[in-house]
Amino acid sequence: MSEEKSQNQQTITGAQYKALINAGLTWLRTNQESVNALNVFPVPDGDTGTNMVLTLQAAVDEMSGVPDKKVGEIAERLAHGALMGARGNSGVILSQIWRGFSKGIENCTTMSAACLVEGLKQARETAYKGVVRPVEGTILTVCKDMAIAAEKSLKETDDPYQIIKIVTDAAQVSVDNTPNLLDVLREAGVVDAGGKGLMHIFEGMVRFIDGEPLDITPVQVQPLSIIGQQEAMNSAEPGQDYEVIVDFTPHQPLALETFYQELENIGTSIQVGEGDGMYRMHIHVPTEKRYEPIDYTMSLGTITKVHIENLMIQMDPAAGKPKEEPIKLAQVSPGDIALVTVSPGSGFSRIFASLGAAALVEGGQTMNPSTQEILAAFEDLPTDQVIILPNNKNIVMAANSAAELSVKQVRVIPSVTVPQGLAAMLRLIPGQDLETVTKEMETALTEVQSGEITTAVRDVEIDGIDVKEGQIISLHNGKLVGSNENLEDGCLTFLEAAKAEDYELITMFYGENISQEGAEGMAELIQEKYPDQVVELQYGGQPHYQFILSIE
Amino acid sequence: MENQASSAIVTDSTSDIPSEMLERYQIYQIQVDLTLDGKTYLDGFDLSRNDFYKRLPTLKDLPTTASPSSGRFQTLYERVFQDGFSEIISIHASSKLSGIFNSARLAAQDFTANIQVIDSKQLSLGLGFQVIQAARAAQRKLPREKILDEVRSIRERVRVFALLDTFTYIHRSGRVSWAKARLGSLLNIKPIVELKDGEVLNRGLARTQRNGLRYLEEFLTDLGPLEYLAILHTNAAETGQAFLDKVLPPQICEPLLVNVTTIIGTHVGPNGIGFAAVVK
Repeated sequence: MSEEKSQNQQTITGAQYKALINAGLTWLRTNQESVNALNVFPVPDGDTGTNMVLTLQAAVDEMSGVPDKKVGEIAERLAHGALMGARGNSGVILSQIWRGFSKGIENCTTMSAACLVEGLKQARETAYKGVVRPVEGTILTVCKDMAIAAEKSLKETDDPYQIIKIVTDAAQVSVDNTPNLLDVLREAGVVDAGGKGLMHIFEGMVRFIDGEPLDITPVQVQPLSIIGQQEAMNSAEPGQDYEVIVDFTPHQPLALETFYQELENIGTSIQVGEGDGMYRMHIHVPTEKRYEPIDYTMSLGTITKVHIENLMIQMDPAAGKPKEEPIKLAQVSPGDIALVTVSPGSGFSRIFASLGAAALVEGGQTMNPSTQEILAAFEDLPTDQVIILPNNKNIVMAANSAAELSVKQVRVIPSVTVPQGLAAMLRLIPGQDLETVTKEMETALTEVQSGEITTAVRDVEIDGIDVKEGQIISLHNGKLVGSNENLEDGCLTFLEAAKAEDYELITMFYGENISQEGAEGMAELIQEKYPDQVVELQYGGQPHYQFILSIE
Repeated sequence: MENQASSAIVTDSTSDIPSEMLERYQIYQIQVDLTLDGKTYLDGFDLSRNDFYKRLPTLKDLPTTASPSSGRFQTLYERVFQDGFSEIISIHASSKLSGIFNSARLAAQDFTANIQVIDSKQLSLGLGFQVIQAARAAQRKLPREKILDEVRSIRERVRVFALLDTFTYIHRSGRVSWAKARLGSLLNIKPIVELKDGEVLNRGLARTQRNGLRYLEEFLTDLGPLEYLAILHTNAAETGQAFLDKVLPPQICEPLLVNVTTIIGTHVGPNGIGFAAVVK
């Protein structure tokens, strides 16, 4: 592998150049999936890793047909192949990098240090020109940093192999820095995929120079210390009931690929860490397989420590969502319209927030917020345009008072049910003025049918309907439409009264006094009775009301 | 071959121009790649749009799309010149949403002959109407500058709106920042979007298709008299036809009903309805 060159060799021949590029391709392919996994750039045109591999493969195919003589000619064919085979944005930029590189070394028979540096310099310039709107924190930045490092290195060495190592180190630093330059990467908690791919190509060359293997298993072995620690509990999904972490020392050197494959048969979110001959394995598994990772690792070595954690128990059982995930309210700026909504339950609060509420006021049927509480919710917001959705007839007046007391321009949309409030919220169209939005929202109130299902707390007769304490009563737009012995009939009575069969969507918000299973059962039942309508079940978290229903 | 047009017009398959019109106006079109379950297809060629949209919701991994390489553009441009043209006007999907324009631009750099590559800042018929106008002008043998003026005029007057059936696909595509902000949207919501200046803007939300279509109709009516109209859909021909019947102004003589390219469909999902309209 490394016999072809020696460390004090001053130039790279055509044959060696080909070997280096081939090594870059092989190592990139080895790391293809990990690069694909980073693909969160705003414009991910396909899979970055795959596209870069296919681009470089096309380049290598073309290059292979050229005699090993002149390095400049080889580079030119390589660039042409990359251009023809370029796939996706990263592939296009990669092809431009090779194109620039070939321009820089077109007259070189063998590649000296100066030649290599000139190639990288041209690569950088051509890469930037290859993009309509260059963005920093991408493969472009990595290419730039590599070219800068190459130029500096000329003062220290005239060995092109040494320069490849120096620019690879610079690439690593640059890749790690990409999240500091590009918000979207920082938010996603990843580095730039294209930059990382470019780094892998050069890393492959370095591995080749050092005689290290290039086709080792793509299993990412990480430092032992970080395994399991960065695990955020808000990502558990079905089939990820338990987290199992096992520390073990293998009897024989671990065949990582086989190990990884076996683990994949058991669970997901697999991570493997290594340090001082000890391994740490991290995996998420369904309940019935929670002991399998332990049995399996025990067959490979000596277990020193086992950690098992039930991930499902950390979830809010009602919402099926992580409890600790904070509700994220919309950030408003001066000139924006801030939506303030009254919410009767934690589930509704999440839904309102997800639809762009800037402030929430807890309250509902038996817990009417005061004028002061409503006022306090929006007084400090950095905008003077506010819309309040009271979502209950007993709160409309307090909302109106808050509007009068405030110095801001406040509109109250007289929503008397939560479904009305939700329908109104959807009409907050960005860029429209307060009067237009207010009008749109008021219209929206009439477009939804609201249902409330609850248990009667005393005997009463209203509108000719005889209600006994403990019965399930159904309200349609606030009006009593029936009393029944069970919840199912209660829901159906409302749906009939509201003529649900004429509508498209039935949304059921279940309250804190009913289990998720119970709510799911009810939703299935209603779907059977209304096969032509879409039935959607959501956690509302409201007290007293088993269900709040919306028909639209 | 005797070429009648003054310039050759080139576009890509995201333009959604019906094949009959491509032929009628002698438009060259390059196909975009679509990778589905590990297999690469040419958009519209070896995978029917019907099949694609039927399979889309069942796919475990999102299909991926890739711009044609600069090399493929070079090959096409060479063929166009061999066909006897001396000038090419190459009009493509918004550069803010796709790398196609950039691929074409890079390919054009390698020709000394005259190739004008234009960013339509649009997709689907928002792009297609610019291309058709260019081809018509070229057939009238207008000089290049005049053709470009006509394209610019359409670009300034074309409006593209759509009601998507769900946030899921546009969110997964990662191309639209405001869709990301709706990440936590717990309710199933149908966003109404406008494609403007190459970007996808949020123009409202609906929970039902009935409401969404009503808002869409309002947007269309508000535009005033129209010169061209295309109803776009992602495998919802019936709904699309019904919408067209409802909104079609009498002065439009050749309305289009188009099942939009899989390249866009990948990012918006099935059952979407929209329109591309050129305002008079």
